[in-house]
Amino acid sequence: MYAIETSNLTKYYAKGKVTALEDLNLQVPIGQIFGLLGPNGAGKTTLMKILLSICFPTRGGGKIFNRNITDYRSREKLGYLAENHRFPEFLNAQQILFYYGKMAGNPKSVLQSKIPELLKLVKLENWGKVKIRKFSKGMLQRLGIAQVLINDPDLLLLDEPTDGIDPVGRREVRDILINLRDRGKTIFLNSHLLSEVERVSDEIAILKEGRLIQKGGIQDFLSIKDKYHFHLKDGKEDITTICKTMKIELKEQNGAYLVSVNDDQQLNHLIDTLRGKQVMIKAVIPYKITLEDFFIEVIKENNN
Amino acid sequence: MKLIAIIQITFRESFAKKTFMAFFGISTIVCLLFIFALNLDIVDGVKSSVSLFGHETQNLLDIKKVLIGIESGVAVLLFTGGLFMSLFATSGLIPSFLQMGTVELWLSKPLSRWQILLGRYLGAVAIVAFNVFYLVIFSWLILSLKTGIWHWGFLLSAVMIVITYAILFALMTFLGIVTRSAAFSLMITYAILFFSPLLLERDKIYALLSGKFYGILLDGLYYILPKTTELGNLTRLLVHGSEIQSWMSLWSSMIFGFSIFIISSIIFSKKNF
Repeated sequence: MYAIETSNLTKYYAKGKVTALEDLNLQVPIGQIFGLLGPNGAGKTTLMKILLSICFPTRGGGKIFNRNITDYRSREKLGYLAENHRFPEFLNAQQILFYYGKMAGNPKSVLQSKIPELLKLVKLENWGKVKIRKFSKGMLQRLGIAQVLINDPDLLLLDEPTDGIDPVGRREVRDILINLRDRGKTIFLNSHLLSEVERVSDEIAILKEGRLIQKGGIQDFLSIKDKYHFHLKDGKEDITTICKTMKIELKEQNGAYLVSVNDDQQLNHLIDTLRGKQVMIKAVIPYKITLEDFFIEVIKENNN
Repeated sequence: MKLIAIIQITFRESFAKKTFMAFFGISTIVCLLFIFALNLDIVDGVKSSVSLFGHETQNLLDIKKVLIGIESGVAVLLFTGGLFMSLFATSGLIPSFLQMGTVELWLSKPLSRWQILLGRYLGAVAIVAFNVFYLVIFSWLILSLKTGIWHWGFLLSAVMIVITYAILFALMTFLGIVTRSAAFSLMITYAILFFSPLLLERDKIYALLSGKFYGILLDGLYYILPKTTELGNLTRLLVHGSEIQSWMSLWSSMIFGFSIFIISSIIFSKKNF
């Protein structure tokens, strides 16, 4: 069973003139943070909306924890944070959590203990009784995250969760997400902040013009096989000579040396040779590209 | 429980609007007016005279007439001004929850769409019922306690006013879902509210029009649309305790309200946001 499963999910707008999603087949495993990436208009928000039956597919369908998305009970253990969400301004933070919690099916007794906990978690414990019209964008976003967690969901659909939140707040949100993942929750994350997605996601999917163009484990995409950064105390001449002799590609990059070896054996041989020349090796780090680099590369490839 | 949460949040949203606060304030002033304007003169434990707004009467029949007159006045005021204010104050309830950023949060909850719409609808009806019953019950209690005449017909006027509002708000719900415009849905509802006396007098309009088509059209509109003028007359007759000749205007208007709400639910259930 998957947390999310779609089959041939297709959505056209403007009587078929605009394609938002085209035959999307996606499986999101349970207990992972799954990052959904794509340029503007790729269909990310449409996908989230279809999963929640906020809009309906032109064809195809989907399931949440094996329950058809057209069945409103599929949303019983689900929390959703919409991009640019709007809460009623005449309510305070506590009241918002109370009413939205009740709408999600929580009894009053559970909410009375849960609301202070959640306000504390999102650092709004001193703002519970303040009308939200006085809240900043970041505070509203934190309240949105608390609202997502009000029914202790097994699946969280988050559309730009760190939008408007400062770097410290972003880190706190990240910690919350990782903690939830560690507790077995599934998080389906749509964010433009690729560095955030990179830090928390287990798997990613890239959409472009409504089509799935890449999907897999984030580490598989970002780790480059047989490329290493060597951090040395000295020994620039030694490493240059040795690499030349061993026919190893060498580049200097930000005070470190990027080497491309053929295999682990050649890597070990390089280390042994350097150590034989008394070169002090401070660190050998597998080379990784950033998610941003990978994303741009994939999009460019797809354009070509 | 989920449905109740929607009703509660809608109730609060309506109450946050100044119009309902004004409505509530006016109702309180009216009740206070009755408390202080109605004077009784009791001799040996029996009412010997009643003075209402300075008019004194000793005849029990006259007292009842004055009482029914006051209650009719309040009922008519509520049916016209109260309905007008209530429709105005609640016109934004449907378009406001259909706004992007709000509707997504509501639809993401484990509720069917018709439940959400029903909750929103009942929330609006609840706030109007609260205001109408507040004024009617309290003014009825004050008047009855002071005069010793317990005239139940006045209480029925509150039920009629709430039913009329519920019918008209069903129409506003439909228009709100289709157009997402509070101003437009209010305009059309007011138009139907004010068009009602014309349709009632359609026989006189026939004479001015040539062709059978207009006759059929006006008859069709009369039977389909809510008959607010006749509902107003029914309310007045109920307060007076007069015999009701026909309930057709009530049940046909209720059928309209029910049908338009069902159509609204179907449209809302299929709408993409």
